[in-house]
Amino acid sequence: MKRKMNLAARRLAAAWLLLLAGCDHGAAQGALPLRIEISHVVGDAPLQLGDSYKTATGDAWSAERLRYYLSNFRLRRADGSWFVNPQSADSSRGYFLVDEADAASKQFQIGPLPAGTYSGIEFLVGVDPARNGAGAQTGTLDPARGMFWTWNTGYIFFQFEGHSPQSTDAEHALTYHIGGGTSAPARSVFLQFQAPVEITAENSAELHLHVDLARLFDGAHVLHPATQPTAMDPAASAEIADNSAGLFRIDHVHKLPKAGLAAAL
Amino acid sequence: MIAARATPRLQVPQGWPAPRYDFAGNPVTAAGFALGRRLFYDPILSRDGNIACGNCHQQFAAFAHLDHRVSHGIGGVNGKRNTPGLFNLAWQPDLMWDGSVHHLEMQPVAPMSNPVEMGGSLALAVDKLRRDARYPELFAQAFGSPGVDSQRLLRALAQFTGTLVSADSRYDRYVQGREAFTPQERTGLDLFRQHCASCHREPLFSDFSYRNNGLDAAPRDAGRAVISGRVQDQGRFRVPSLRNVALTAPYMHDGRYETLEQVLDHYAAGIQPSPTLDPLLANGIPLTAEQRDALLAFLDTLSDENFIHDRRFAETHD
Repeated sequence: MKRKMNLAARRLAAAWLLLLAGCDHGAAQGALPLRIEISHVVGDAPLQLGDSYKTATGDAWSAERLRYYLSNFRLRRADGSWFVNPQSADSSRGYFLVDEADAASKQFQIGPLPAGTYSGIEFLVGVDPARNGAGAQTGTLDPARGMFWTWNTGYIFFQFEGHSPQSTDAEHALTYHIGGGTSAPARSVFLQFQAPVEITAENSAELHLHVDLARLFDGAHVLHPATQPTAMDPAASAEIADNSAGLFRIDHVHKLPKAGLAAAL
Repeated sequence: MIAARATPRLQVPQGWPAPRYDFAGNPVTAAGFALGRRLFYDPILSRDGNIACGNCHQQFAAFAHLDHRVSHGIGGVNGKRNTPGLFNLAWQPDLMWDGSVHHLEMQPVAPMSNPVEMGGSLALAVDKLRRDARYPELFAQAFGSPGVDSQRLLRALAQFTGTLVSADSRYDRYVQGREAFTPQERTGLDLFRQHCASCHREPLFSDFSYRNNGLDAAPRDAGRAVISGRVQDQGRFRVPSLRNVALTAPYMHDGRYETLEQVLDHYAAGIQPSPTLDPLLANGIPLTAEQRDALLAFLDTLSDENFIHDRRFAETHD
């Protein structure tokens, strides 16, 4: 029953994408979505939940839970103009909740994109202030998903929970919940493509992002589990929020023919 | 008397500002309002099925909790703050004593998931409602299609809490020229405007700022500072509306005063200096016995008897 529903929902989504493509004035006929695939890594190795890793300064850490929002995607064209990924006020379209424990959440699509040559991609790690304060939401933004603070209402942008023998918290826990209201905006990330990416009516692209958790500890700020085992409010988590924006890099981009995208839908 | 089956609409009383909560995204319907009211009075939203919103928000107390200094939650444990009255919430920019909730629809998530209030979670409540024998049908009627989700739950509650409008006190009828004040009440109003109205601003009787009103030299509850992260907000709390103030005892964020006389005693001679004390209260508000009586007489005119007896807002057992 659930499978059938999913199939119907997917067909509806496909029809909706086609409709949108048709409505987008100036878009080439049959505009294609861009696929994004995310891999969580530590250095060059895939992240394994529960495994122990070492920071550059010799602290050990492990991750048990890793979830975060990505939103407000836009792509820069070679001429400096932007394609802004559509987001609607009455759905969570365009707001992605990435969860290491959920394979489906690590692959998603934005667009459809007008044909053209693109030089880079920008997005927020978190939710923009307008949507953050817009009341009850659905889909990926459903506050029942547990990515929502109730003591100071707003989304948790980035959630990392794990352990470190150096942590002074109970059971050596590491708990980093980054979020914030108007006072602590979501961090923005811009990634330049190594080579221009062509989107045509026949070919889209798949962007493979590596999200390197080593850089959570050895990023713009050095994070020590002994002195900061927990961060649960915007002020305490500001440096970790900076680091969260530095986790992302483009591993590779490859061409994705229209047929391949159709199969994914 | 208005029938219990009638559905309130948010009407902006004459002279009031535009509301902050926009019902355009959540139009009030008869079925939606009735669902919100039912949810408000249903303990199904708490973890153990024992605590409803309406347990601590009693209509006869303008939806405050009469005689309780702080809220009593699940398993009989005490919260740390005094249950505020619920009315005119659509005009309030942020909710709770410390302004920690930034949108009316999101407010119920705080008590639902607070371990010392309803002790559950939004996800748990949605799950229980989905399995309930009646709610799926009521949600479908309220929103025009099948489906129980957190957005619908929170929007239905907002249709109830957002339409709790209290604007029919004797004060309101006096301002509209429909009813006379006694000379003493008139004196009380003048005193109020002279000494109190800069913070308890008409017509909502709050300017919705956060202030330290000198309860303690060293605040026991950091208040607004927890939310803002600013030391200058230590011991500051939202200026509460004084509408229905005679009905909503006890007083202050921690419910320390049982009577309005005690509150006036505090402002007259009990102000404790501290770095974050509101400058307007540095010298207190000393009043003569006659002035006190007049001010108390005026504060009584802020009670909205029609609001607390409005059957549309009362628990129903249909």
